[in-house]
Amino acid sequence: MNRWLAALLYALLCAVTFVVCFPLLWAISTSLKPKEEIFRWPPTLLPERFTFESYRELLFGGSAASAPGAGTPPSDFFLHWFANSIIVSVGSTVISITVATLAAYSLTRFRFFGQRAVPYVAIMGYMIPSVIFVFPMFLTLVELDLTDTLLGLTLGYVCITLPFCLWLMWAFFRGVPLEIEEAALVDGASRLQVFRQIVLPVALPGIIAASIFAFIVSWNDYLFGRVFMNSMELLPLTVGVMHFFDGTHVDWGLMMASSVLMTVPMAILFGFMQRHLVAGFGAGAVKG
Amino acid sequence: MTDVVISGLSKSFGSNRVLQSLDLRVPSRQFVTLLGPSGCGKTTLLRLIAGLEKSSQGEIRFGEKRVDTLAPGDRNIAMVFQSYALYPTMSVARNIGYGLEVRRIGKPERTARIGAVAKVLEILHLLARKPKALSGGQRQRVALGRAMVRKPDIFLMDEPLSNLDAKLRAAMRGELRRFHLDLGTTTIYVTHDQLEAMTMSDLVVVMNEGVVQQIGTPEEVYARPANLFVAGFIGTPPMNLVPARHEGGVLSVAGAKLPVAVPPGAPAELILGIRPQDLGVARPGDAGTIPGKVWMVELIGSERLIEMEVAPKLRLTAEVRARQRAAIDDAIAFRPDPAQIHLFDPATGASLTAAR
Ligand SMILES: Nc1ncnc2c1ncn2[C@@H]1O[C@H](COP(=O)(O)OP(=O)(O)OP(=O)(O)O)[C@@H](O)[C@H]1O
Ligand SMILES: [Mg+2]
Repeated sequence: MNRWLAALLYALLCAVTFVVCFPLLWAISTSLKPKEEIFRWPPTLLPERFTFESYRELLFGGSAASAPGAGTPPSDFFLHWFANSIIVSVGSTVISITVATLAAYSLTRFRFFGQRAVPYVAIMGYMIPSVIFVFPMFLTLVELDLTDTLLGLTLGYVCITLPFCLWLMWAFFRGVPLEIEEAALVDGASRLQVFRQIVLPVALPGIIAASIFAFIVSWNDYLFGRVFMNSMELLPLTVGVMHFFDGTHVDWGLMMASSVLMTVPMAILFGFMQRHLVAGFGAGAVKG
Repeated sequence: MTDVVISGLSKSFGSNRVLQSLDLRVPSRQFVTLLGPSGCGKTTLLRLIAGLEKSSQGEIRFGEKRVDTLAPGDRNIAMVFQSYALYPTMSVARNIGYGLEVRRIGKPERTARIGAVAKVLEILHLLARKPKALSGGQRQRVALGRAMVRKPDIFLMDEPLSNLDAKLRAAMRGELRRFHLDLGTTTIYVTHDQLEAMTMSDLVVVMNEGVVQQIGTPEEVYARPANLFVAGFIGTPPMNLVPARHEGGVLSVAGAKLPVAVPPGAPAELILGIRPQDLGVARPGDAGTIPGKVWMVELIGSERLIEMEVAPKLRLTAEVRARQRAAIDDAIAFRPDPAQIHLFDPATGASLTAAR
């Protein structure tokens, strides 16, 4: 009976995994097909002839097939976009995490007016859809003369990731027993030493989780990039790849190859972080 | 060589007065236990001594030096927390050596001292592990090691044995006592377990509701409780406390006359205290006994507890040898040992006999 249940569950999990993975597999398959095969009907599941044409075009540019008369083909900007996305995502993640960690620590350890309200206000701010404040924010950036700059976009992402990171780190620090810090103080450590040597290592899994969140949000964002950015060479990937759609026809080969390349940093990030996420959280500090 | 002198120390959390003008002198090299029920302010007092909490009033001196304003790290104390509070991300060795590390003591000396302490505590084989891979008893040893390695002036320990099983606790009691005898460091030890307090300490400080009730050797607080609280708190089963009257120099409990000398100036209505161990079984009608009916009998190993109803809502418990038998509802009488009778003033709770 139990065996059957296990088998059923297993089958269900396989099905779910397949459904979740199918778009990615389809993207990989499409990106490896020659252009004439992409639109064939009935579609081929696997490419009949493998070609790295789309990838070559994205990574090394100079497509012979680019439309005559036009300027630089969009695919030539791919590496720019990729770099932009990395810079903006890493930048906003670093800023968000630094601010969130320090703020959350002080929220749990020092007493001041509004101490209890801040995390809840933050999480409520996070629940407001970004469409609502993207335009006010745009106008602010205009004032600051930061539109169409990577810095402006980075700050935009900080605005949407910081509240949640703050909340996450706050919840995390609340779980770090105060006594281990007091033990370190009695041992003779300074406040800064306590923070660096005792608190941060314990908080590492939380920091990693928050970083992954912040990175994913920034990396996948479309709205802010679309509204804030203008110059072709400053676009983030998500906005940039829309140029493979020229109003009448979509270059699915390039689109899919871009998507596949876009998932690479994510895959790497998760590969590295997963171990840390699971490892060494503060169990064992305390009796029991 | 550090005695701890606390004078007029008060601590409030908001309107909650946790310690009230507390005076206490802990002599150098002694093992002093703070004993009291949960919530009486033991941990708070320890944290004040450690500098983890700021006092509302009063002062704390280590020897001649006033320490109230010093940071915890500058007091040269070591503390074993109720929860052990080991650093979860550090190995056992680094946990023990962290205090030396932040005091910039070189690696070779550090390693040597960690090794020496680990050897004494028999945790040499655990040095590379993380705290979460240790049992409760092992964690406790690491916490102790972390305190010992520093060679502090004062040890502060907050119920370090409370989460261990009974057997391990008994073993650790002896070991802790042994460490203290070997090191001779002034130790302030918090517990709510009177057995720990009685077996381990040179001096017991009995506290209740933030007020010191009595300071004395274990023998003193047991044999001559200063007031009703101490009398009721120390000893198992607890001391019998019953109302008594005295008229014309004769003391009586529920009408039974007892041959006890009442100190001069005692009020007519008193509270009489007698430990279950100081009551013997007698025949009803004998002189100097209190008659009643057997209410409940319990065997506790080599002893038997006999609970006798003297009058409605007035019961006495005697602890007698197990071979002494008694059947429920039988008529019985208890003979108190006159030398072991305690008398208390019901108005103040103070003992009238502790001074004798
Ligand atoms: N940070 C705090 N804020 C407010 N009240 C506190 C604080 N710490 C302790 N108290 C109160 O002070 C009183 C004494 O607490 P304390 O921890 O010293 O008790 P304790 O004697 O150590 O008890 P236990 O045996 O249960 O550990 C309690 O009533 C407690 O509620
Ligand atoms: Mg306590």
